[in-house]
Formats: sequence, structure tokens, C-alpha cells
Amino acid sequence: MSVVTAERAARIVRDAGGQIIGRTRLQKTAYLLSVAGLEDGFSFVYKHYGPFSESLADGAQVASLFGLMRETEQRAAWGGLYSIYTSEGGAVSDLSQARVRLAKEAASADAVELELAATAVYLAEEGAADPWAETARRKPEKADGGRIERAKSLLRKLAAIPTPRPLPRIA
Amino acid sequence: MKPQRIRDPVHDLIEFSNSELERTLWQVLQTRPFQRLRRVKQLGFSDLVYPGASHSRFAHSVGVFHTARQLMDVVAARLNERQPSKEQRALAAALVHDLGHGPFSHAFEAVGKRLKLKLASHEAMSDLLIRDGEVADVLNQGLGSGFASDVADIIKKDGVKTVHHAVVSSQFDADRLDYMRRDRLMTGTQHAAIDFPWLIANLEIGAVEVGVDDRRVGTIETFVLGPKAIHAAEAFVLGLFQLYPTVYFHKTTRGAEKMFIELLVRVVELVRAGTVDATGLATNHPLLRFAETPEDIETALSLDDTVVWGALSQMAQAADPVVAEFSERLRDRKLYKCRDVRVEIAHALGPVGEDAEARDAKIDACCKGVERGLTDWLAGHAGGRPRVLIDAAARSPYKSGRESAGPLDRINIRTDSGELVDLKERSGVVAALRTFRVFRVYVDRDDHQAQKAIDAIVKGEIDKCQS
Repeated sequence: MSVVTAERAARIVRDAGGQIIGRTRLQKTAYLLSVAGLEDGFSFVYKHYGPFSESLADGAQVASLFGLMRETEQRAAWGGLYSIYTSEGGAVSDLSQARVRLAKEAASADAVELELAATAVYLAEEGAADPWAETARRKPEKADGGRIERAKSLLRKLAAIPTPRPLPRIA
Repeated sequence: MKPQRIRDPVHDLIEFSNSELERTLWQVLQTRPFQRLRRVKQLGFSDLVYPGASHSRFAHSVGVFHTARQLMDVVAARLNERQPSKEQRALAAALVHDLGHGPFSHAFEAVGKRLKLKLASHEAMSDLLIRDGEVADVLNQGLGSGFASDVADIIKKDGVKTVHHAVVSSQFDADRLDYMRRDRLMTGTQHAAIDFPWLIANLEIGAVEVGVDDRRVGTIETFVLGPKAIHAAEAFVLGLFQLYPTVYFHKTTRGAEKMFIELLVRVVELVRAGTVDATGLATNHPLLRFAETPEDIETALSLDDTVVWGALSQMAQAADPVVAEFSERLRDRKLYKCRDVRVEIAHALGPVGEDAEARDAKIDACCKGVERGLTDWLAGHAGGRPRVLIDAAARSPYKSGRESAGPLDRINIRTDSGELVDLKERSGVVAALRTFRVFRVYVDRDDHQAQKAIDAIVKGEIDKCQS
């Protein structure tokens, strides 16, 4: 695990405004940045919790060990533990403001809806004919309660940000 | 068709009845993908340490099916009804869950990750083999159209989750309940015994909360244990925790895996560079074909442990010095010498004080510092072959398969009043367990320059951590 990877992980947190709440938000934010052509340090595979990068997970851990960012754990009301990543200093990206905007919007979204949106984008990139229907089929318990519609709305908002590579227009 | 019988060292008699499901699953056993599992050892290189540990993924898979059938009887008893459609799919999933493992399983996956070879991932390979091809044909013809895809979804954890899925994936899934007992028996180790009958007798169904980060999603039914099984659960967790250092992460086994990874990476790189001749292998050898067409499922199916073992003598004659040396070393068990850096650092930092977690973090940071130092040193002293192999890994006491860790990722005990509590709240021993971590380096016994460099880097990092 290189320090470069750890620095990349920390940079995502800084570009998102200095704080990202939850591993899912960190992973899915990084994934959407990657698809949009604003991050190229991580490769993602499909997991049942959506696109996931092992090197990002490792990088975040190393970043924490090296003091590039801080990871603290909190207990959620539902009984699970979630991480809060903080990294001091302003946005350090030398790319356009698009990266900062996309990172902030994604990282501040509802975690479940962000996971659904990122999954639909992943499936669209893989060539799924109806990525939303497939997302709902794969994650029925998460898709319930109008979350798919809200995830579509989230993706519309994210896709409206001009990026080097447009997010798929599926919402 | 007569009922079919298999004698098994763990379960003794395993029968496949004449039911529609078991008749079909017996046919799955006869397919090429499933027969390949006879030639993929469950524990890879572990028989370099434990000579008896030569059991196959074939035997394990059949054992998982048998255990899943026992668990399914528990589910039916607790639900007070049988749900044949859900049971059949989960039992089939238990049987075929390991179908995609390549030679030396996880070491092969590490090669795939380094070189981005999709079919080196057992998950991707299993998914393809179950959804399409010979296994899918048998399942769909015997049990109905779409059955194979439903099975693949269960393994991928996609779709509606019922308690039947807990048989395939949970803290007490059939996979774990088989491999813990099988690996213990076949290695010959005498620790890590579990009280299987008592665990099963106290298995209950409970609804546990699930969520994503800070957001609740709902509840999922899974296995929980009754209050009388606390000690059995404790032994289960501790047993697994003992198997990590003694078997799964044994320094010699891991050293062989690291060498195998470097060997295979080198072979693929030579093929990609157009220097196939330097590998020492015949041009139609399955390893070369895989390097050339890594997306071809037929080629991936032609790989197994025996293909690799059989190739070592040829590769030991390779023109490429790395291929030749590492093949010979693996064949003759002349491995690099292991240095357990994490243990050295922990020792240097003194005894565990009050804040064990902070101390662990300090050790982790020190290990990462060593890793960084070694990586820098290796960049300037490559010398044409991997001179130092690094092994960094971590395993938590509970099985965790998700980003957001919650009640599904722990062992839940039902209290007398009906609440679910984490086993850690009832067991001081389990509560005290911390993530098991290794950080080791492997180096040629005769490479004194590298050994000196490691000495200096480790000492320098320890000094920094102590200051």
C-alpha cells in the first residue's frame, strides 16, 4: 500500500469539504468521481453493497495511520458502527471546481440513496439495459420506500455538474 | 436412480436422496466445473506445513451441502414450516458456492488483482459458471428455468433476503461450520474444536437491524443463538481466531503463497511482453493460455493446483531467472526466510498497557513505516527479482462482509427476556479480542544486503515509534 494511495483517499475527504460521514459515502463518492473522470487512483468491483474499491479502503486506513486524515467511529441509532473521516485544510485538488462540487454533493447525500445511485451508474457502465430496475431487483430492501426515485433525483443533480466525462444520463 | 452415498472424514455418511433436488445436485457433482474442484486444495500450500491438509474443495463443497441440509432442518423447525422453493435454492447455493476458486485460491486471486484478471476472482468465476454453461443447464433442466440465476443471486447476496440465505451466508453459515471442522481434522491440529451439536441445538432465528453508514434500512432475519450457547459461541470465535495464526496465516504457508504470486505475475508479464519462450512452458500450456486470454472461461476452467505443480519442473528450466528460481524453490520447498516484523515491533514497544487499541494503532503505523521504507529501498535495489516479499494482512474476530458493520456482523445472543445482544457483551474473552494482524517480510537467506537493509529500516522505524 503506497502513501500515494493514502494521500488520494485523504484528498477526496478534503475535496468533499473536510469531512465524509461513513465508509459507504467515501466509497461511492470516490466511485462517482472516478466515473466522471475526476479521480483515477482506484479500481472498483461490484459488491452487494455497490461499487467498492479495496485499495481505497486500505488507503483510507493508511491515511489514518499516517495522520493524513482522522477516522473516528460512532454508533448509529440502528446499532451499527460508522466512520467519520476528517481531513483538515481546504480542497487541494488541482483539477476543476467540478471535483469539489461533485465530491461535496455526493458526500452530503443520504447514504442509502447514494449507494443506489452509484450502483445504477455501475450497472449502466456494465451495459445493463435498465440499470434502475436491476438495482431495485438486487437491493429490494434498500430500494423500498421511494428511495429509488430519490436516488434518481440525486443522480440528476450530480450529473448536472459539468465533468470531464459526463455521468451516465439514466435518471 | 438409487440414493447416492459418499463417505466423508468429517461427516461420515453423506447421502444424496432420490428427491428432485438431490438427484439434480448429484448431477451437478458430475459436471466438469465441479469435478475440477477435486484438483483445487482447500488450503492451498498448507500441506507444506501440515502434510495431512491435502483435502480438496470438492470434499469441502459436499460437506457444506450436508451441513446446509442440517441447518435447513433447524430453519424449518423454527419457522414451523417447510418452504421448498427457498430451501432448494439455498441448498444448491451451498453446494456450488466455491465453484470458481482457481489454483491456490486466494493467492491466485491476488495475482488477478495485481494484473486485473477478472476470472481470477472466484466470485466472478463462480457467478459465470453457475449462471451459464454445464452447471446452469443441469440446475435449470432439473429444477426449473431461472433456478441457476436464483442460486447465483444468493451467492452474490443479491435479491430478497430470507433466513434461508443465512444458511449460505451468516456468522453460522454452512461454509464456516464445515471448514472449521474439516481444516482442523485434516491439519491434525488439536485446538479450535467447536461444539457443533450444541451450536445447532441452540440456533434460533432473529430479526437484526441493518443500515448503511448512519442510516437505518430495516431488519433481516438471520441466525442467533439462545442463551445456553454462550460458551459454545465463545469457543467457536476463539477456535477460528486460533486457526488464523496456526493454519490460515502460518508463516510458511504465506511465504509459499507470496512466492507463487510473484511467479505467476512474472509468467503473465512475460507473456504480455511477447517473450513466451522465456517461461519454459509449452505454448499450449494452460497457464500461458490463461495469460493470453484471461477472459475465456474455458481456459480458466483448465487451471487447477495440479496444473501448477506439474508445470514447476518445466518452469524450473526457464530462461527467465525469476521463473526458474521461484519454480524450483516452490517445488523443493526452499522458501524465503520469514521475519515477523510486527512481532518484533510489538516486543520493542513493551508490554500491553491500558490502552491496547492505541498501542495497536502505534504498531500498525510503525509497520506501515517499515513497508514504506522497504518499498523505497526495493525501488532502488530491484536486482531483477523480488528480493523481499511483504505480507500484510488483517482479520477481525467476526466475519464481516459489508462496508457498514452492524448487528449482522456479530454473533447475536438472545437473552432470556428476548433481546438480542452482541456475544461480546456476554463474553469477556471475546470482547478482549482485537483484530488479528500480520506484517512479515520474506527474504532469501543468502541475500545479506537485503537483510541488512531490513535491519536498518525496522530499527529506524522502531526508534521513531519509541521517540
